[in-house]
Amino acid sequence: MKTLVSVYDLPSEVSTVVRKLKARGFDDLTTYSPAPFEEIELAEDPKPSKVRAFTLIGGLVGVVTGFGIQIWMSMDWPIKIAGKNFAAIPPMWIIGFELTILFGGILTILGLVGLGGLYPRPLDEHYSPRFSAEEFGVVVNCDERDVAEVESLMRGHNAKEVVLHDAH
Amino acid sequence: MAPPPASAVADAMNPPARPRDSQTNIDIMAVTKGFHWPWFIALVAAVCGVLMAASALVYQTYVGLGVAGYQAPVFWGVYIITFVFWIGIGHAGTLISAILFLFRAKWRNAINRGAEAMTVFAVLTAALFPLIHIGRLWKFYFLLPYPNQRYLWVNFKSPLLWDVFAVNTYLTISVLFFIVGLIPDIAIARDRAVGWKKAVYTIAAGGWQGTGKQWKAHNRTVLHLSGIATPLVLSVHSIVSWDFAMSIVPGWHATIFAPYFVAGAIFGGFAMVIVVMVPVRRIFRLERYITDYHFENMARFILFTSLICGYAYGAEYFIAWYSGVEFEQTSFWLRAFGPYWFSTWCMIIFNVVFPQLLWFKKLRTNIPFLFILCFFINLGMWFERYVIIITSLSREYVPAAWGLYIPSTVELMVLTGSFCWFSMFFLLFLKIFPIIAIAEVKELEIHAKEPGHGGAH
Repeated sequence: MKTLVSVYDLPSEVSTVVRKLKARGFDDLTTYSPAPFEEIELAEDPKPSKVRAFTLIGGLVGVVTGFGIQIWMSMDWPIKIAGKNFAAIPPMWIIGFELTILFGGILTILGLVGLGGLYPRPLDEHYSPRFSAEEFGVVVNCDERDVAEVESLMRGHNAKEVVLHDAH
Repeated sequence: MAPPPASAVADAMNPPARPRDSQTNIDIMAVTKGFHWPWFIALVAAVCGVLMAASALVYQTYVGLGVAGYQAPVFWGVYIITFVFWIGIGHAGTLISAILFLFRAKWRNAINRGAEAMTVFAVLTAALFPLIHIGRLWKFYFLLPYPNQRYLWVNFKSPLLWDVFAVNTYLTISVLFFIVGLIPDIAIARDRAVGWKKAVYTIAAGGWQGTGKQWKAHNRTVLHLSGIATPLVLSVHSIVSWDFAMSIVPGWHATIFAPYFVAGAIFGGFAMVIVVMVPVRRIFRLERYITDYHFENMARFILFTSLICGYAYGAEYFIAWYSGVEFEQTSFWLRAFGPYWFSTWCMIIFNVVFPQLLWFKKLRTNIPFLFILCFFINLGMWFERYVIIITSLSREYVPAAWGLYIPSTVELMVLTGSFCWFSMFFLLFLKIFPIIAIAEVKELEIHAKEPGHGGAH
């Protein structure tokens, strides 16, 4: 296996080359970008992010927890307040809402950490500080026999440079 | 095995010289580097102010709440006023980050980081005040849903408890929002740091490399956090307003309170963003990124929310008169012409009259004028809370039970210290993390380079 690392200046070039590489079956690729660009995101993986599932689960856990703790605690030591039921539901919407947001937010962050691999770890071998400046990187792992095709695709879409490495 | 193409081998053997860093990285990271005298002087002053307030607080904790200026029937004073003030200030950050993000208002990109930092530090400051107000700090856990020694739980029907949940949720979500936005920029700092700083930034960046997978998860996270933070920000000051509106005290028992408080919070929050960002832009020479256009847009928000505040003030007086309720009418008459007339007129003049000058573009784009105006707006917003809390409590129902509240020296020291506490955190932040969201600014700059793109935002 070989690895080709290419560098670009514009997100449109990256999204085009990624789309074409994937169309030709080169799926083992990674892009590096200094800023968020939707076109690159869609070219690399058009499926919706799973982060939304984390938000939904967190929200549901939050609303159940919010109402659950209030009903339980109100019934655990029943005191009549302002003539209302021990576990009067209307005022519970407020804390129920707040905990929906709180748990939804926390689970969303856990989703980001899990799906984005956001924990201290060694950086990728082909990552370069150039990709946190203003340049973009596309790294493709391919068979040795495909190197010429991949390289020509990269250069055909304005790759500023293409570097060949042995894949590990 | 076929040899690799010559061109690829050549590239590998003769890699091009490492290109220059992006100018945006250099300019914005420069804030964190070097020594700036104005920054240092401000930090020393802030630390001194915090120490002064801490000494006052220790004294109050030792002697008791008698050293505060409480005078029956006024037992909510400067501490609660300042709590509401700082919670309000904390609203601009989430508004800029979440609501303007959902509306795709790209101009937010240059100011959102500063506003988010301000939000976090303002809410941190605000959260101290209920603890200071209760006097016996070590009893703070009575606020939490934890059974006391008789296994009695907290009262879920009380707006004060709703406030505990609202403020803590807001603080948590604001901190998370802030950190999520910071991660790509911390990675930029990591890639350019050396020594122990590199080690710290490496841990803080959490393996961020800007891969497609990471950006996708990041963008979705920002979107979802914006989606849930938007109703949250509106709920928080609504709930703070219900601390008052749920009671039957004249001047407090009004259905208009929630939108009135939210608009006031956004109004004061934007004013504070301007007060903070004008000197930052000047001292650190960030005029290329934080432009007059950004200040003008914020000035428009201030003008709009000032009109809402003006409407709310007017509606309160109208309803007091129209209700025919003597207590309500007397309460509002005394606001304007009673012993606290000074604070009421400061509130009206600073929050409603002065901001009308922003109808003129020449003044909206005059940065020194904006700075001075926003300083007075912040003063006016503090007085607004003073008016709401003190005038209503001091002239409740029975004239025999009326009292006159005058803040004590201890309270004023703690109030001053709160500004220093907030400033201290903000000043330290300036030297550790980028004050402008670099990745988001670059998104605009790089898009502008695309062929066929207008290039202007």
